[in-house]
Amino acid sequence: MAELTYREAVAAGMQQEMRRDPNVVFLGEDVAAAGGVFKTTVGLLEEFGAKRVRDTPISEQAILGAAMGAAMTGLRPIAEIMFSDFFAVCWDIVANEIAKTRYMTDGQVKLPLVIKSGNGGGARFGAQHSQAVENWAMAVPGLKVVAPAFPADVKGLMAAAIRDDDPVLFFESKSLYAVKGEVPEGEHIVPLGKANVVRQGSDVTIVALALMVPRALKAADILKQQHGIDATVIDLRSLVPLDTQTILTEVAKTGRLVTVEENPRLCGWGAEISSIVSEELFWDLDGPIVRVTTPHIPLSAANNLEDMQLPNPERIVASVRQLVD
Amino acid sequence: MNVLMPQLGETVAEGTVAKWHKQVGDKIALDELLFDVETDKVSMEVTAIAAGVITKILVPAGATVDVGTVLAVIEESAGATAAAPAAQPAAPAPAPAPVAAAPVEAPPPSWYAAMPPAMNQAAEQYTPPAAAAAAPGAAAAHASAQRDSHQRLSPAVRRLAAEYRLDLATVSGSGRNGRITRRNVLEFIQTRQSAPTQVAAAPPVAKLAPSPAAAPVARAPAPGPVPASQLGTKVAFTRIRRLTADHMVRSKATSPHVLQAVEVDFHRVDQVRKAVRDSWKAKHGHSLTYLPFIGNAVCRALQDFPHLNSSVEGDSLFLHEHVNLAIAVDLGAEGLVAPVVKSAEKLSVAQLADAIADIAHRSRTNRLKPDDFSGGTYTLSNSGTFGTLITAPIINQPQVAILSTDGVRKKPVVVETSEGDAIAIRPVGVLAQSFDHRAVDGAYSAAFLDRLRRLLETSNWSVEV
Repeated sequence: MAELTYREAVAAGMQQEMRRDPNVVFLGEDVAAAGGVFKTTVGLLEEFGAKRVRDTPISEQAILGAAMGAAMTGLRPIAEIMFSDFFAVCWDIVANEIAKTRYMTDGQVKLPLVIKSGNGGGARFGAQHSQAVENWAMAVPGLKVVAPAFPADVKGLMAAAIRDDDPVLFFESKSLYAVKGEVPEGEHIVPLGKANVVRQGSDVTIVALALMVPRALKAADILKQQHGIDATVIDLRSLVPLDTQTILTEVAKTGRLVTVEENPRLCGWGAEISSIVSEELFWDLDGPIVRVTTPHIPLSAANNLEDMQLPNPERIVASVRQLVD
Repeated sequence: MNVLMPQLGETVAEGTVAKWHKQVGDKIALDELLFDVETDKVSMEVTAIAAGVITKILVPAGATVDVGTVLAVIEESAGATAAAPAAQPAAPAPAPAPVAAAPVEAPPPSWYAAMPPAMNQAAEQYTPPAAAAAAPGAAAAHASAQRDSHQRLSPAVRRLAAEYRLDLATVSGSGRNGRITRRNVLEFIQTRQSAPTQVAAAPPVAKLAPSPAAAPVARAPAPGPVPASQLGTKVAFTRIRRLTADHMVRSKATSPHVLQAVEVDFHRVDQVRKAVRDSWKAKHGHSLTYLPFIGNAVCRALQDFPHLNSSVEGDSLFLHEHVNLAIAVDLGAEGLVAPVVKSAEKLSVAQLADAIADIAHRSRTNRLKPDDFSGGTYTLSNSGTFGTLITAPIINQPQVAILSTDGVRKKPVVVETSEGDAIAIRPVGVLAQSFDHRAVDGAYSAAFLDRLRRLLETSNWSVEV
């Protein structure tokens, strides 16, 4: 085990796969010489050279168009969209081209590519650089959607995403880049579509993703210590494929579900999970399914308002208590 | 006047309204059929004890309520006024029934709370909208919510209650406003199953015990062939089957049963039966069986053995003054009931025969009254029609003894005559008594059976019919 930061784990996962497979290439804005604006790809240019690690112009359409073409012709590209908000300017390529090509060619053309992107709020970037857009991606058939919370999962899921033959959108939580954690050395793979039960409790099941996982864990500690409520916390790790087995198993044990989402309220991924659980587990539920989300508004630029908008441990605690008491 | 759930026997605490024959606004006459009620072993029709107009029905059909609960209200009428509401069903509606929940304003969708206004609250003050009732009338709505909270059962609680056939009135709720939580129910089930003196918990009807750890993935049908041992059809208990099951388990758990049996020569009884067979049937409308003779002999024998006509009450035995004979009546698929012939010791064989025929007939036509079930002190169970040799019956609580009359067959028996022993063909049958060893000992029971046998074999039965 080595202790790495979340951002170092991004590079570690890419490095592991680039060493293994010469067809893995990487392109994006300021990703090579600068090592990424969030320093997630430091050292890759030095190790793998300018042919495999390329800086691009500031054109998201160009980056993803190039990545799609590379994937169609046999490479396994990783493309970076610096802020996930910018998916909006290249969404046609993602939603209409990358997501659908394998289907429309009857499987003749595969697109083994990864689009990595800094996602979410809490880093003081304002409304256009702080969005959590994992629910956009989840809404498009043909895309896999991954959003890790811990450095070990960053490395393992990045490796699995690169090896996957379908397009994977890999969301890195900007607010977690500095977080440290134990990461297995040597080859490390975490399969896509497998949620992780990070805390086992008996009273309520909290389902969270990415930045919301440590906040849910903090809330679970407060609930246990101050209110005697014992919560299970599930780290989904990926939205597509979705590990419904783990969700249903854990919700059945407690009879109560709270989802904690960073994306805005309407049509957030928690609504999908709420729908699945109420269909599959209605007769096991001991209370309504509760969603904790960012409100349905653009994030504020003011620090205090941004802090208030994102779900935090206090709000999770309040929602759980309202449900369980 | 208020229509109450009637007292349906002394040990019955609740009844189920099976059907309403009248609706709100209907006129009803004295003694006119008003509703059907079901209790543990009886269903009966209830007629109006006042004439008037039904202004309220407070307990819907299918609901089970405590004895004494107001079920409906009849506005007693004098002559012309009675017709008015019936003729004008659309007349001013009566005040809302007290059990009906006051209309509660629908809360806004929960995401509403996440819209901008909620942002003005500090995070610590964040409260989901359900708790933030501030609208006019919220106090009343809140009171209503509190009153109804015990009825707000989550899907999980409803499912567990159905699977374990729980009366949720006996489960205390620890949730907000006393709501019963899933944990309350699971703990209740666990407590009930571990309590040694309690009736064993009814097994879940739908699936194996859903422990909190039961994984939902297990509900997917298992692939592969089903073992032969699992093939079959599940037949859910009827209400009477379940009550019988509960009673039997409770009786076996309560009373240490001892079985004793005697062989009885029914020669003298048979002589009388044969002598009056045709005239009896013509006069009484039913056949004269062995049972009233046995019942008569039991009553007489019990006069000398009163401890078998008793109930255990704590550290004492309560000796009943009268012999109230409970007669087990088989209703076929419907189950088993044991209506009671009161003060049977005062009846002749003929009177007892009529009384038994009456309650048996009323049992099979569902016309027993609640009182017919109460007060039994000794039970006769008759398997004899099927030619059984001997039956070990289970005591009908809170009695201490029960007699099974089994098949009577012609057999060669040794009879003592003035000219020495001889072999004769006699109708012989076994009478088997289970008694509660807490109440009496074997010698006492055996002496009773000996007296019973002698009475049956030596009485002059011709004077009885």
